[in-house]
Amino acid sequence: MSLTASLPQDLEALADSLSACADELHSRLMRALRRQQPMQGGLSQGAVQALFENEVALRQQANSLYIDAAAVSLQGMGATRQELLDLAAKTRLTIRRIDVMKELAGITADLLGVAAAVVAMRPEHLADPLQNLRAHLAALHDDRSA
Amino acid sequence: MRPIILLTLLLALSGCASNARLNQVRDFADQAPKLAGFVDLSARFRDTYKREQPYLSPEAEARERVIDIKRHEAYPDFIALHDAISSYLHALGELAAHGRYDFSAENKAMATSIKAWPGTGLEERHVNAYNALSRLLLRAAGTREQDKAVQALLREGYQPLQDALDAMHTLLRYFSKNNENEERIVMGMLESEIPFAEDPHDRLLAALAKSHQQEKTTEYRLISLRHTLAAKHVDDLRERHLALYRALDPAAPAIETGTPTAALQGARP
Repeated sequence: MSLTASLPQDLEALADSLSACADELHSRLMRALRRQQPMQGGLSQGAVQALFENEVALRQQANSLYIDAAAVSLQGMGATRQELLDLAAKTRLTIRRIDVMKELAGITADLLGVAAAVVAMRPEHLADPLQNLRAHLAALHDDRSA
Repeated sequence: MRPIILLTLLLALSGCASNARLNQVRDFADQAPKLAGFVDLSARFRDTYKREQPYLSPEAEARERVIDIKRHEAYPDFIALHDAISSYLHALGELAAHGRYDFSAENKAMATSIKAWPGTGLEERHVNAYNALSRLLLRAAGTREQDKAVQALLREGYQPLQDALDAMHTLLRYFSKNNENEERIVMGMLESEIPFAEDPHDRLLAALAKSHQQEKTTEYRLISLRHTLAAKHVDDLRERHLALYRALDPAAPAIETGTPTAALQGARP
């Protein structure tokens, strides 16, 4: 059976019907078990185990088909996944650009501080704003080169 | 003076509208950790064989080993799907949360240093006024830039995210059905073997088996709840995403996507 040609819905429907058969088999088995005293003749333990084995085999077939269905439904997902990852990567660049803008805002404030110190003719007050300015410019440079 | 006030007001107002969207988007992206249920259930699906193994006959065990290999082969794709969705949501959340400019510290520093320079003619209120205006302009420009980027990301990411969430939902349905079969194999084995342990010689065996049966019943009930919850979280995320996308263009006709519940029922071709 070629699974690649199958739609996941078909595989799932097939698996569902196998599971349903197993359910039916199980309820018959349990009805037969309950109807009689198992240790006094009737259905032997070996017979019950053989019947249950069939039920297990049906369920395993069904579960195997669910995996096939999962694999088929993920076949087209490679491209979708890549699209999401690409968008995430692109967004990280945008965030960096916004960071640059934030640094620029910081620089405006620093310049104001420098101007204020100059106007006030207080060179001792220049140290802090200049220090901040250097830090902001360095951050901006890192952002650009990153 | 008046045009500046008007401009400021306009920018502040447009900033408000953008901010509302950014907050919504951030709240939406914050939901990403709820997809962790999918990761847990993927791992549980992968490990089905380990749990079933004690209850299987040698023949059934041989068959299960083949299926086990298939499950292990499929598992990395489940995780890759989750990781792609998380990366996108994380980027969206970061973008929406980013650049919430807080200049209060700088403003305070500035005000304090001004007080240290009396008699310069440079008054505190001058600096404050200049500060307030320049920051408002910068912030509004920043917010608009951010909002534009968020809008673009929502538009471009709409279809891939919906498709990926659909796939996740479909996978959860397969996991759940696989789990039902596992439960019936384990519980069925106990159910069909316990009557043969009713012999007085086997009282201890019967007692242990029944107690084990009770534990397993509880375990499967909890797991089934986890499957339901995980699927519900994926649904919620999909609906909120759809709502955000529609809010981008309130005037446009509704996008044909089908109701989320209808999309659940069948796997996408």
